[in-house]
Amino acid sequence: MDDDVSNPMRRMSSRTRKVASKMTAALQSSDNRTQAALARLEALENDNAGLEMVEANDDDEASLDDDDQVYIQKKHSKGTKRKTRQAKALEARKAPRTFLELVHEANLDSLPPHVPSYLKAAVGPPSSTSRRHFCTVCGSAANYTCVRCGVRFCSSRCQNIHNDTRCLKFVA
Amino acid sequence: MHQNVVVLDNGGGLIKAGLGGERDPSAIIPNCVYRPLASKKWVHPSPNEPMDLTSAAVRRPIDRGYLINPDLQREIWANLFSSLLRVNPAQSSLLLTEPLFTLPSIQRATDELVFEDFNFSSFYVAHSPSLAHLYEASQRTFKAQCSLVVDCGFSFTHAVPVFQNFPINYAAKRIDLGGKALTNYLKELVSYRSVNVMDETFLIDDVKEKLCFVSLDVARDLQIAKKQGNAFRCTYVLPDGVTHTKGFVKNPEEAQRYLALGDGDTLEEVQQKMDVDQMEVTNKLEDRKKIDLTKNEFDLTNERFLVPEMIFHPADLGMNQAGLAECIVRAVSSCHPHLQPVLYENIILTGGSTLFPRLSDRLEKELRPLVPDDYQVNITPQQDPILGVWRGGSLLASSPDFEAMRVTKAEYEELGSARCRRRFC
Repeated sequence: MDDDVSNPMRRMSSRTRKVASKMTAALQSSDNRTQAALARLEALENDNAGLEMVEANDDDEASLDDDDQVYIQKKHSKGTKRKTRQAKALEARKAPRTFLELVHEANLDSLPPHVPSYLKAAVGPPSSTSRRHFCTVCGSAANYTCVRCGVRFCSSRCQNIHNDTRCLKFVA
Repeated sequence: MHQNVVVLDNGGGLIKAGLGGERDPSAIIPNCVYRPLASKKWVHPSPNEPMDLTSAAVRRPIDRGYLINPDLQREIWANLFSSLLRVNPAQSSLLLTEPLFTLPSIQRATDELVFEDFNFSSFYVAHSPSLAHLYEASQRTFKAQCSLVVDCGFSFTHAVPVFQNFPINYAAKRIDLGGKALTNYLKELVSYRSVNVMDETFLIDDVKEKLCFVSLDVARDLQIAKKQGNAFRCTYVLPDGVTHTKGFVKNPEEAQRYLALGDGDTLEEVQQKMDVDQMEVTNKLEDRKKIDLTKNEFDLTNERFLVPEMIFHPADLGMNQAGLAECIVRAVSSCHPHLQPVLYENIILTGGSTLFPRLSDRLEKELRPLVPDDYQVNITPQQDPILGVWRGGSLLASSPDFEAMRVTKAEYEELGSARCRRRFC
């Protein structure tokens, strides 16, 4: 953020600020495995896992009212490139934003430490127990890790299935 | 002037709505709109005419427990008020539940929705933990002043101490795991291991509700589940769209067999119990293999208890969060030491995800070692965990104090949203 102050003419992408903190952490780490793990947790909160792409395009009823437009206006930053009509329309589609974006916008980090907030109410990391690993293929306790992608399995039979189907695909 | 109070428990999964003073909500509908595979339109769920939800797409106004899409919520409420509850918002007041720590921007949007779009004459925001406490307190002979409410719902799980009907918000703790994530997890497992059901949210919801249970000893149950023809194996038949449009459990008795396993049974004892009906099972296995070709079905074994298990160990999913028992301990330890023994004695379980069989037994088993010896641990599962909060709201709406607590439309117009909100915390 220091750059912002020292050189106001420099064109900064306003986008990074709107990304949820967890996601920035993920994007910063070059580690594919962490990224995959975070993406998977995101996916657990997803409504239409299989249909997502279709939904974004044939949304007949996603009509926008005037007050919504005002909502979106805030998102446009001043110094960015002029947008085509199509790009604007695409942005309008995104109107109902995700909760994580709203949290980020509310700037809860800036509250004094004694004020309870959404972020502080999270229970925090477990103190005593460590992560147990279950075989991704059959579900039983998994003692082995795939050397290529780090996914767990329990036996050579499951290892073969894993290698044939999911290795390096980072789906789950 | 006496007017109706609409009590609305606006959950991420289900809306529970009805008039204050009644025992049960008159409408329970999913808080979403669907688009069935064959249609191009988003339709509202209606309780009377079930529709084919195979591969239906969903839009929900609530994400991670909070209202993020007020437009969609307006459509759903409009449909609810006009065709299901048949009330005129302008002549009624509204009691609405809201999760703790709702962001100011969301609160403002909610106020606008209530007063400007629907013109309710007055409005009160209640927190679900205090309503659950209120209802439980009314059910008992002695009145507990405080209790710890564990609300394990659709979007997340909260452990909130409630003191004299006020949630102690600095002590509230949250696990970001609820029924929705569990359904999605089960979906993922089934899709990889047997049939691709990634689009079938409603089907898998049904599977989860009917077949999942909480294991009392995971290591042992995993061992048992490895064996062929074990007590946990159970078959679920997918809808074929012709004779039945809903999936069902193939053999309901088979699904209940896990109940025979006692808490303290060792592996050998289990083995013996299993041997008795081994013959029967092998016979059934033969049967099943025959039918398998003609019918679409899948088997579940260890998935049945590994899915609810995640509430107790979110770390196993790769989440950096403590499990339910520890969540409760942390919530209680943030309170005044004098409150702590009382809170452990009054743990109330509410929310749809507490419906997994044996959840409270397991919770007690995990909680006991974490709580000081001289404190009693007493867990009360609510009788109807989905409706408990609504019933509390209904009680509150019919109590004489309610009139003074709510904010009227005139006050809202005069003072604005932020000022009115201070009354509710």
